Amino acid sequence: MPFVPRPLAPAALPAPAGLIAQLRRQGAAAARPGLGMGGAIGGCLPGGVLPVGALHEVGPEDGAEVQQGAVVAGFAARLLARLPGGLPWLWVAGREDLYAPGLVALGLDPGRLVLACAPDEAAVLAAMEAGLRGGAFAAVVAEAGRLSRIAARRLQLACLKHGRMGLVLHRWPYGRAAHAVEEAPSAVTRWRIGGVPSGGPFAPPRWRLALVHARGGVPGEWIVEAGERDAAYPVRVVAELADPAAAAQRRGVG
Amino acid sequence: MWLPNWPILRLRRSGAASADVPAATVTSERGQRRLACVCPLAAEAGLRVGQALAEARALVPELEVHEATPEEDEAALARLAEWATRFTPLAAADTPEGLWLDIAGCGHLHGDGKGGGEEGLCAAIARRLAEVGFPARLAVAGASGAAWALARFASGNPVSVLPAGQERAALEGLPIGLLRLDDRSVAALRRVGIRTIGALARLPRGEVSARFGPVPVLRLEQAFGAAEEPIAWPMPARPWEETRRFAEPIAAPEDLTRALAWLAGRLARRLEQEGLGARRFVARFSRVDGVVPAIGIATARPVRDGAYVLKLLAGKLETVDPGFGVEMVALAAEARGPLSAAQAALDGKPDTAADLAATLDTLIARLGEGALWRPAPMGSHVPERAVGRAGPMTEVAWPAQLPDRPLRLFTPPEPIDATAPVPDDPPLLFRWRGRVHRIRAATGPERIGAEWWRRTPDPTRPLHDFIRDYYRVEDQQGGRFWVFRIGLVGAPRWFVHGVFG
Repeated sequence: MPFVPRPLAPAALPAPAGLIAQLRRQGAAAARPGLGMGGAIGGCLPGGVLPVGALHEVGPEDGAEVQQGAVVAGFAARLLARLPGGLPWLWVAGREDLYAPGLVALGLDPGRLVLACAPDEAAVLAAMEAGLRGGAFAAVVAEAGRLSRIAARRLQLACLKHGRMGLVLHRWPYGRAAHAVEEAPSAVTRWRIGGVPSGGPFAPPRWRLALVHARGGVPGEWIVEAGERDAAYPVRVVAELADPAAAAQRRGVG
Repeated sequence: MWLPNWPILRLRRSGAASADVPAATVTSERGQRRLACVCPLAAEAGLRVGQALAEARALVPELEVHEATPEEDEAALARLAEWATRFTPLAAADTPEGLWLDIAGCGHLHGDGKGGGEEGLCAAIARRLAEVGFPARLAVAGASGAAWALARFASGNPVSVLPAGQERAALEGLPIGLLRLDDRSVAALRRVGIRTIGALARLPRGEVSARFGPVPVLRLEQAFGAAEEPIAWPMPARPWEETRRFAEPIAAPEDLTRALAWLAGRLARRLEQEGLGARRFVARFSRVDGVVPAIGIATARPVRDGAYVLKLLAGKLETVDPGFGVEMVALAAEARGPLSAAQAALDGKPDTAADLAATLDTLIARLGEGALWRPAPMGSHVPERAVGRAGPMTEVAWPAQLPDRPLRLFTPPEPIDATAPVPDDPPLLFRWRGRVHRIRAATGPERIGAEWWRRTPDPTRPLHDFIRDYYRVEDQQGGRFWVFRIGLVGAPRWFVHGVFG
């Protein structure tokens, strides 16, 4: 009897559980809409994009920015401006110092922005959840210092259910030191951004952008600068900062 | 204001009585038909109030007789009082045939070309009433009783204005019958020889009270302005309110919710009939101890769906303390606007505007009405005034290009200690909130002056105090600020106005 090669049943294939989980994750991420971040940053994100129906955290580096929250707000505004669909955005904060004319230069139409002022951080996060649950906003931004695990989980579920982006900007009141940002693994990505000197008086501003945590992705850190108003990606990578551990991990994944 | 023979005036106005025939109304009194009100024509013919109908018929065979209907007269008077609210917010019926008008502070708003004031206002009222066939007599006085007496005291002019403080002198000679006393008191006073108000005023008050009861003294005081007169001003109607009273006070939250649901449903049906919706709903809970806690919700668009209103109200119901029980629940719809019946879009797409309105309503219920807005551009070049607030549902159009502005704006600008080369260079370094910022790059200046149409000229402040020179500066750490200088000569002052993102 000649030997006939018989295909193996798929179930019989020995596959590492971790690989399956990762492929599933990537498949799920690809199926969900995302926001393109460019090659270098996208390489650290699952599926190469920033998922839209998810909760993201953006925190400042140390310094005055912890209270001013201008750089994190600028980063958030650049993300919002590139979300698809004509839905309005909701921006909930405890202070009313967001200056709408400043958003125009970032490509965000202030006419589509609904601002909300809440008395305390708990109310800010509760309002954010209410805004996400309706599904009427393309994205909801909240300025809050703390984000507890439970709050983050609730917000992430609301984002996931309605397919809307949630952004929590970490910002503390004046005169109060920043608390350590609590590990809230429910957020899909966590970013840290701080200013660095730009190329010159008329050069676009530059920041140090760090992807501290990305579910299904790897951390990374870059020097980025503001692109054109209608550029495809929120920021343009100027230099990738060497991080041997992260680079090795990324090689393992990619 | 006095409307003599109001019942007959009213009947003539409505067409039930003819104008040129003596008319009277009759009422049955102890089995006998007696005249209750006689028109001037009938009075000329010798008829008087209280006469038996048979006697009157014998005297004036052509007499037109109508059944007296005091309730309808009162209702008509109340309607007239409502009409009079166009002249003053405080107008009340003074049954049986007069109106109270509180025209304090209203005189200068009305009046004809000849001149305003209280006299002009009264003349305007009298003229308008005469046009519709009501010969009214008006009197203005500082005291209600004096106005009442003067309006009824016959004189040629239908309008009389009594200067403040002259009540006593004006009323001195008037007959005692003008003091708003019942017939028995008037008769009793006449019997002892008191025929004028002045004669009564000269008697010791204590003795008058002891003899004739407290009413004559009270009326006298009210006529002289010494005593306040409580007049029941009708409250403005609140037609868009539903109320429910309970025989037994309720306190359980479920009961309150049920009551609200019932009221919201009724209100919704009424609003639907009129094609209206409301943007604000206020529920008031009248407690047995007299406290009336209220909760309110506001919505982004007019709504009338009872269940939806209830859902928003229910979120606030826990703040209501029912105390020992709630006797009455009222739900009012305010800020009404047209709302046509909704129709789902034919293309099957979800209604994003409705979704947005619903989400905004929950947020407004949570944060308060003023806590949500859309930034709107304002016509000002001064940064603080360049942004206004529009409603959260409003579509706001922003220009696509604006000068570079910071993302965070501090109002008011915060003073900084800056070191800058004179005369008009950007700062080399500045200290703000305990941190020193060394400037490595700067652009500017952009000169922004005060709005000339707003600035009040102040000779003590130099002109350059109202001019700001703005610079965009970047410090060594990459922080980018919007700083400005006030004052060109001497010691310029520096401020940081915003931070770029």
